[in-house]
Amino acid sequence: MSPFDLLLQQFVNGLSLGAMYALLALGFTIVYGIMELINFSHFNVFMIGSFVAMGVLSLFGLSGQTVLLHGFPLVGVLVVALVVTMVACGMLGVGIERLALRPLRGVQGPMAMITTIGVSYVLSNAVMLTMGANTKNFPNPIPSVALHIGTAQITVFQFIIWALSAVLMGGLYLFVQRSKLGKAMRATAQDPDAALMMGVDVNRVIMTAFFLGSALAGAAGFIFGLYYNFTNFGIGFTAGLRAFTAAVLGGIGNIPGAMIGGLLIGLIEAMAGQYIGAKWADVIIFSLLVLVLVCRPAGLLGRLAPTKS
Amino acid sequence: MITRRSAATLLAGTALGAALGLPRGAMAADSKVIIIGINLPITGSDAAGAKRMMNGALLGIQQANDANELPGYTLKPLVLNDATATAGQYDPAQAATNARKFVSNEKVLAAIGPEMSGSAKAMAPILSEGNVAMITPSATNPDLTNPQFAAQYMPSGKPTFFRTVTTDAFQGPNMANFYAETLGVKDVYVLDDSGAYGVGLADAFQKQAEAKGLKILGRDRLDPTASDYSAVLTKIKSLSATSLYYGGVSGAGVKLVKQAYEIVPTIKKGGGDGMYTPDITTGAGFPAAEGWYVTNASPHMTEDPKIANWLNEYTSAFNGSPDDYAITAYDGVLVILAALKKVIAEGKQPTRENVRAAIAGSTVDTLQGAVSFDANGDVKQRVVSVFQIVHNPSFPLDDAIHQFKYIGVAPQS
Amino acid sequence: MDTTTAPPDAKPGHENTNALHTVQAPPAKWQWLTAPFDKPAVRTGAIALLAVLAVLFPVITGDQANIDAAGNAAAYAALALGLNIVVGFCGLLDLGYAAFFAIGAYAYGILTSWQITPDWSGFWVPFAALGLVHKVVQNDHALVHFTVSFWLMLPISGVISAFFGILFGAPTLRLRGDYLAIVTLGFGEIVPIVARNWTGLTNGAAGLNGIASPTVFSYKFGIDATPYYYVGIGVVAFLIFASTRLRESRIGRAWMAIRDDEIAAGAMGINLTRFKLLAFGLGAAFAGMAGTFYVAKLQTATPDMFGFPVSIMILVMVVLGGLGSVWGVVLGAVLLQLLQSWFLGDLTQWVNAFGDAIHNNYLSSIDLTQASELIFGIILVLMMLYRREGLIPANRRQRALSFEQQHATVQTHVRAEDVTLSQIGGEGYIHAPGAVPMLEINDLTVRFGGLVALNKVNITVPAGSVVAVIGPNGSGKSTLFNTITGLVRAGEGSILFQGNEILGLRSDQILKTGIARTFQNIRLFTTMTVAENIMVGLHARLRAGPFSAVFRSPKKLTEEAAGRDWVLEIAKIFGNRLMPRLGQTVVGLSYANRRRVEISRALASKPKLLLLDEPTAGMNTSESLELAEQIKGLHALGLTVLIIEHKLDVVTRIADKVIVLDHGEKLTEGLPEEVRRNEQVLEAYLGRGAAAHA
Repeated sequence: MSPFDLLLQQFVNGLSLGAMYALLALGFTIVYGIMELINFSHFNVFMIGSFVAMGVLSLFGLSGQTVLLHGFPLVGVLVVALVVTMVACGMLGVGIERLALRPLRGVQGPMAMITTIGVSYVLSNAVMLTMGANTKNFPNPIPSVALHIGTAQITVFQFIIWALSAVLMGGLYLFVQRSKLGKAMRATAQDPDAALMMGVDVNRVIMTAFFLGSALAGAAGFIFGLYYNFTNFGIGFTAGLRAFTAAVLGGIGNIPGAMIGGLLIGLIEAMAGQYIGAKWADVIIFSLLVLVLVCRPAGLLGRLAPTKS
Repeated sequence: MITRRSAATLLAGTALGAALGLPRGAMAADSKVIIIGINLPITGSDAAGAKRMMNGALLGIQQANDANELPGYTLKPLVLNDATATAGQYDPAQAATNARKFVSNEKVLAAIGPEMSGSAKAMAPILSEGNVAMITPSATNPDLTNPQFAAQYMPSGKPTFFRTVTTDAFQGPNMANFYAETLGVKDVYVLDDSGAYGVGLADAFQKQAEAKGLKILGRDRLDPTASDYSAVLTKIKSLSATSLYYGGVSGAGVKLVKQAYEIVPTIKKGGGDGMYTPDITTGAGFPAAEGWYVTNASPHMTEDPKIANWLNEYTSAFNGSPDDYAITAYDGVLVILAALKKVIAEGKQPTRENVRAAIAGSTVDTLQGAVSFDANGDVKQRVVSVFQIVHNPSFPLDDAIHQFKYIGVAPQS
Repeated sequence: MDTTTAPPDAKPGHENTNALHTVQAPPAKWQWLTAPFDKPAVRTGAIALLAVLAVLFPVITGDQANIDAAGNAAAYAALALGLNIVVGFCGLLDLGYAAFFAIGAYAYGILTSWQITPDWSGFWVPFAALGLVHKVVQNDHALVHFTVSFWLMLPISGVISAFFGILFGAPTLRLRGDYLAIVTLGFGEIVPIVARNWTGLTNGAAGLNGIASPTVFSYKFGIDATPYYYVGIGVVAFLIFASTRLRESRIGRAWMAIRDDEIAAGAMGINLTRFKLLAFGLGAAFAGMAGTFYVAKLQTATPDMFGFPVSIMILVMVVLGGLGSVWGVVLGAVLLQLLQSWFLGDLTQWVNAFGDAIHNNYLSSIDLTQASELIFGIILVLMMLYRREGLIPANRRQRALSFEQQHATVQTHVRAEDVTLSQIGGEGYIHAPGAVPMLEINDLTVRFGGLVALNKVNITVPAGSVVAVIGPNGSGKSTLFNTITGLVRAGEGSILFQGNEILGLRSDQILKTGIARTFQNIRLFTTMTVAENIMVGLHARLRAGPFSAVFRSPKKLTEEAAGRDWVLEIAKIFGNRLMPRLGQTVVGLSYANRRRVEISRALASKPKLLLLDEPTAGMNTSESLELAEQIKGLHALGLTVLIIEHKLDVVTRIADKVIVLDHGEKLTEGLPEEVRRNEQVLEAYLGRGAAAHA
């Protein structure tokens, strides 16, 4: 492979990985933007998303490596699976908020964060106990056709990941910017008290944020399963940690920031694997994060609230 | 949510053992209880493999009770978990506590475990002073039985730490010989999975591969919790490597197999006994797994009908397939059982010291062939068998015995 | 409109002795008020009982496994105490604390094992003489074997970890809560990766071999859990002692002030950088000691032992026990550790035995071992939902005010003459009054982006005067104060305080020069008591460092005692408005009382120039005039006052000079009466039409 092809190939690798981190980071960011809560249960909503998707696909007879469907029926099944997964994960997110987090609303300190850690333990262990601890083979129904540029190749599925991520992120961005509920979300993020006084139903806004964030995590779980063809109860942790880092790198609470952060981290991971060594990838990612935050304390796109006295 | 069925599955392990082992019912009332400790990280990120080992050991104990192998005695398992939520995986400090639990329970005469060498390093000195023999199915770090560290891991001066698995010091080099002599590759890229087992194996492989004149194109380390290894695989592709060796367990292995098939489909790929598991054939599946070479630290025994029987029994008892370490764990129980029998047959009291001495001096016929130990507790039989994953559609994917095709014995150094 | 009213003290007859006198000689039943710092005696008894139980525990249980589990719990208790300093006291959310645990562990592990064996040379002879290394001959080859004593390594590991704590803390200083969390998380990830990949130093994933166990004289601890347990509880006891002493010292107050309100803490003279780094360093030192103890007991160390889940667990211990509560975090750590290693491990056996007893087949065969983390998660969620303030909350239960205290006569005859303070004003407090202006601002310009908040403002505050700044909202008054006190550091021009340039100094440095302030929107330290809040103001005038705080040097004791007297003296200015509430946290106070606490806090720093930003906002007329009278009293002592005030009657009553700001520019200045008649001023306040009619 020529150095250029290699760079291109690693860029493609990184972009696909980054798209997934970005989807996951978005969920962190919307919840954080509104509640200033680091939501560790998000990790495992993502993991459960991959299991839900696997279950839905198996209902349509897609399991293991058997490819039974082609063309439109396949697309139809995938869309149904995506929608079901997103709705199920969205509901799970809303449920977590309702049961475990609402009673802690307004409590100062890291209590709510600790609760999400507890929820995270419950989710991953519940899946481990019910589904088993071993790695599951996720169906792989998408034909592996690839586009070749020199010796670099881009698979159809990588295109699908980018397109799907772009559509979901764009949709979220438009929703938050344009819709009435979206505006209410932004208002709540800036000043919950003022939003409340202006008649914003804060409960609804928070539930929406959890629904959307968790639905995106579900979508990320689905894409993860399709792309890597496996899942197990432990996939949430590392992917979630990277996504969390991505959200902070971009400026936590900032939607375009989460996208950029996710893509950047995906790219760094790929380039580190090529040029420095995969074993140092985390060290590089976190060192870069420290550097960025030292120069820009609110992340790449985040803005610090002006100091009031 | 824990459904009734899955709860039944997860409980099956100890339920079977407990139904027979607990002092309940007429038979149990007048029989003495001997406890075999089991220490494995059965929660957290090591859970999948640990549960197979636990099942293998429990099956051995259950069968012994069923067959009334020790008249007048009932074997009972005491399963302790050395994974903690604090560590998120195996926790050497918890392993040390568990070792003390074994020592302080005088009914515990021997134990199976641990899975990880890190835990073994914490447990070995305690069990040595408590004189409890422990047989590990999977802790392969050579330090544990290295005479240089005997003062640390064998303070009593007598071997208490045994293995039914060979150390990294044999599997890796023999596979390197196989790469150089049988496969005839000229270069190799070496990967490990960050774990003590994987790193040790890959190190040993790399050293011998260099000695054999193979060009080491690179060495990298996979994060077992990460999902994407495409970057390092693309690098391997760009180096036009002809072969890849992976030291590690199936956690990272499954993902590596899948992605290697996408990126470097044609090069020769191989791993150690950590890859000799149905996780690879089910988790990665075919065609991705097709063609991988894996090793097993024992002579090939599949023709022996007892393997097929055992496989059936394991599968029906636990609703899942065993892997190599389930076999080594089961073999560990067989070794303990043989020692107990010998002690009782000689009319001696089944004490820790008697059991330990019997284990040290025994030669036991197990699933992996005859097992006996050297002065340090290492298994003497050091045959390394090479298998290749070849899809056999007439058997289920998780049937490791039929999806892994025996190639031959790896050349000894 | 004429808001001038008759002075409230016009009533003749003073038999209604005002409250100030009452406070100066408090009646016996009020005695506890003057001792808000005292510890209840009950606690001492409880601690003694606990100590006895802890010492007897190995004898009671007799089981090595339980003693070992308790030893691990001690290590985690030490970790929780360290993290409590960082998160609980100082409010810095650290998600990578296990890094310091790892550093302490590896420091000991490497220096007492066979991991590094350099060739022997003359260089090592002095070390060998000290017993730090031994010469070992292997295969005719002389090697160095590190054999540093455990007892020496315990403090050394603390120092090494503290160094890394400061190193890792330094880049995070500018970051806010959650950004800080992720950076610490990053360091928490990096350290184990380095330990894994730097095989030569750490033996990588395989783990260190043969870490030496501690010895006392010739007794080797070996694998006996009991001596480790005693070392563990000894370390924890010391760390509890140190934590408690630190919390009750100047340092602890500074940390808690930073946690409650960083800006106010800086304005009260607390060097944020130094005290945050001190928290990071001390917290890391605790972890380093815990790490050394932990691996000495375990005799091996692998990188897997120090991952992110460990950091999270320690944080959970701290929060579960009670953020900022010394005994709480110890309890949290001990409970969670024993829950995992002991209770959940044995739960299966207990449930099975119970099942046997009640002949329930399901219970007698259930295996809960695999569900231990699930149960752990459920317990965690339930605890947060139903006992979120922790097992032992840090905020002490407050004694309710008695009926008498609530209805204590409110002083009505406040006179400036009654304001007396021994350490403010008097001879030589302000050298050469009148000669050098107290404050001289020349051509001060402040821009926020494109907005000019202050434009070439010139202000002179003569020594010993009261100068009022007035102006409509948005005229730049608060920006002026923020620039003087270093909160806004974007100013151009010059600000001379007693002839010295202070523009560009940090707010804590400015306070030390003698300028103290209050805030328009009241920035008190909400979790602290009234007395502690005022005490923070004294921070810059006290000297105690961490060592003397822990070991209470006589100097430190005198200093603290004098500080308390000083706090009481200041609080007395406001009589029984504050005196009965000294031991209460400030959240329960009325708005007016919070302003009084803020003024007291500023006074505690013994300022020469006092900046008051709308001190009477939210007070009714009589309260406002009462405060005006008190300000007059402070002025009479010799204090120079610069005040932002909207209430013109207050301004007229106390100001020598009034400066009017509008749109960031100085409109005019002059005597109060002149300014009141100034057309431009009326225009600025009331608009053009109104001015024409005036």
